[in-house]
Amino acid sequence: MSADELKLFVHVEGAKSMVVAAKPGEVLRDVLIRAGALKASQDDILIFLGECTEALNEAEEVDNGADEHKPADAGLTLEALELHRHQHVHCHRCRHVAVEVNFNKKTKRHRFSPATTIEVVTAWARKKFKLDPTIAGEYVLQTCETKTQPRPGDHLSELVHAPDCSLCFDLVKEITPAG
Amino acid sequence: MKPPDQRLFEEDLESVGFLDGVLKGCWAMAETGLLPENLAWPNVILWIAAAPRPNAPSKFYFALNAAGYRAEPPTGTFWDTSTKKTLEFAKRPKGRPDSRVAKVFRTDWENGIALYHPYDRHAAKTHSEWAKALPHLVWDSNHTIVDFVEEFHSLLHSGDYLGA
Repeated sequence: MSADELKLFVHVEGAKSMVVAAKPGEVLRDVLIRAGALKASQDDILIFLGECTEALNEAEEVDNGADEHKPADAGLTLEALELHRHQHVHCHRCRHVAVEVNFNKKTKRHRFSPATTIEVVTAWARKKFKLDPTIAGEYVLQTCETKTQPRPGDHLSELVHAPDCSLCFDLVKEITPAG
Repeated sequence: MKPPDQRLFEEDLESVGFLDGVLKGCWAMAETGLLPENLAWPNVILWIAAAPRPNAPSKFYFALNAAGYRAEPPTGTFWDTSTKKTLEFAKRPKGRPDSRVAKVFRTDWENGIALYHPYDRHAAKTHSEWAKALPHLVWDSNHTIVDFVEEFHSLLHSGDYLGA
């Protein structure tokens, strides 16, 4: 990689995330097509940049709120899109990922940007359920009706496949190894 | 030619998950100048950042044996880059009594040679019951070093982490 090249983290629906090197003057769409993340004929893919943390600022009383995080114009250059700062590029058909989190027989909902990490969703859920900060860290998200716990760094864009743009989690207490 | 476990490990160091954490200052492989001269595969040294605590370091180094990676998790413990030896117990991260942090970083088990967690090969092999009790933490070949560093990074940023 040359000095002026950017290293992009590209997340594609249903595929392994990839590191893509590109020059600041390149058009994002061209970069994504070259990397195999987009097909030239595809027009149903939305492009989101960076990592969205909007939900963390949501007012307590809001129910089923939605992130505003807007799709980017892939016809612009990496420089114009400030990708040196955003780093992450998400190619997805879901405009939002509708998440519901269950805890103590209650459910909280939010429509997140696909560019949101599980770490942010977890922090949002702990806040929404008003967990005591001293114990909140012990609670993690577990996919409903499974024993699967997504990694904090996973992006929602990697976990859903359109047309099903929704996820269900239980907020569970992490188990301490014993024995 | 490098062995398959080493190639897989090095491939995962170039993955989005690992590089993203490096850029965010969450973890990285140890700087070359801090490595023991005779360090060779399957032994590796990496560091993981810790939440700020009074008189505690901003990161902890881990010396790991990654033989059999990815089919097997690594095993190892904390490393002191100044003495180039295993980190003495007094300098290891402490957790609130009876917390997950305290349990995972315990030093009263196996003389502190491994992490008390299913992502540690030695601990997993000596606790077959964990497969049933902690099914979400059973290591398989879909797991990578990113799972390992994320897990211990979370613990070192937990409210139960008290410092060193």
